[in-house]
Amino acid sequence: MKFVVNGRPRTTAAGPLTTLLYVLREELGLVGAKAGCQHGSCGSCTVLVNGEPRRSCLTLIGTLDGAVITTVEALGEPSHLSDVQVAFNEHYAAQCGFCTPGMVMAATALIERKGGPVDRHEVVEALGGHYCRCTGYAKILDAVVAASRGERLGHMAPTTLEVRGVEP
Amino acid sequence: MSEAEVVTEVMPEVVIARSPAEALAAFGDGSDVTVIGGGTVVTPLLTHGVLWPGRVLMLHAAGLGTVVDGGVLEIGGAATLAAVAEVAPEPLASAARIPDYEIRGQGTAGGNIMIGGDLQAALVALGASVRSAGAGGERAEPVESFIAAPGGRLVLSIEVPRPRAGAFVQQRRRHSHTHPVLTVAVARRADGVVHLAVGSLAERAPAVACPSVEAALAAGATLRDAAAKVLDDVTPEDDPLASAWYRRRVLPVLVARALEKLERLEPGPAELGRPGPDFGEEGQ
Repeated sequence: MKFVVNGRPRTTAAGPLTTLLYVLREELGLVGAKAGCQHGSCGSCTVLVNGEPRRSCLTLIGTLDGAVITTVEALGEPSHLSDVQVAFNEHYAAQCGFCTPGMVMAATALIERKGGPVDRHEVVEALGGHYCRCTGYAKILDAVVAASRGERLGHMAPTTLEVRGVEP
Repeated sequence: MSEAEVVTEVMPEVVIARSPAEALAAFGDGSDVTVIGGGTVVTPLLTHGVLWPGRVLMLHAAGLGTVVDGGVLEIGGAATLAAVAEVAPEPLASAARIPDYEIRGQGTAGGNIMIGGDLQAALVALGASVRSAGAGGERAEPVESFIAAPGGRLVLSIEVPRPRAGAFVQQRRRHSHTHPVLTVAVARRADGVVHLAVGSLAERAPAVACPSVEAALAAGATLRDAAAKVLDDVTPEDDPLASAWYRRRVLPVLVARALEKLERLEPGPAELGRPGPDFGEEGQ
């Protein structure tokens, strides 16, 4: 089975009934997508398959021949975060961070398909399948709306590494 | 200490159908084959070792995923719920807008009606028919008879005649991934007659038509009186989501709301075309 992950052509010998989540995490070492509930309910494993957000825990390798897959690893890096990632940071929309990769991927896809500012109702609809057990969602909604409008507060919250004085 | 047990893992035979004909050939008489449409239901069973299939038929590339929007809506068995919600008339469009965005884009119409899913009541109200394959070959039948015993059949397509108007009311928590507590779908069909169906009477119970309600409406009963007749048509059950007692109390209320919603609608070209967002009633 051949597909493209984050711009790189990849092949896997995994059987057609293996989940994409398993191949990403265990074969390719891409652990951004989280193995949460592993039955499609929590949203933490969400990646983009041909530009659309999909549960990687429900996506079988057998369906992915020729697919283009994007994971959170391709969105940005600590020194150059994507707009959605910056907004999540500025609005304190992540606490433990477990749901964040899935939230960020779904939010990125929402803004891409709307092509402009989104309102809170649209964010609720698009992120409705994503559970966060820490922040209570309000800050996540704030972050996605701000990212869709291209708003930047200009003050990034310090990362854990920065608080500890660790060089990235 | 006993000797270590040697477990030989037998990998299932997997057929990825590339055409409807290949799907039909691989499905055969439907015995000993696990069908994966979108995979939203079967994949967790595989992941968690609940299901160990001998043979698997995957439909994602079988050419059964189209939705043809003619005078009659023809929905391929492997069409996604998102594709159905895009073009279907009410009450089917609201029924297809299940939680959540990602699942709608992956789950299929055929899979949904096989598992007692949200589409059933809407399809019954609309007078849809199902074309399926399996033992004895292909056949088309009213959706009620198909969903009463869907086992061993492969859904090829669902044909939905356009109604004059429709309404959908559902008791569920939005974004919950459970079956709904109750589903009510009502349609005024092209001939002007109102048809009502109720689903989610128990986990995986098939949706049923409500002839007593329909007869009361035809005889000129008030909407509330007609709605009360629903308990002559259905027998709610206890399941982990709700008790039969609760369902009996709530169902006539939801039926009345659906009928009132239908009455408020003015059938017209705009509504017959693309329905606006309608998420039904939320159970709070």
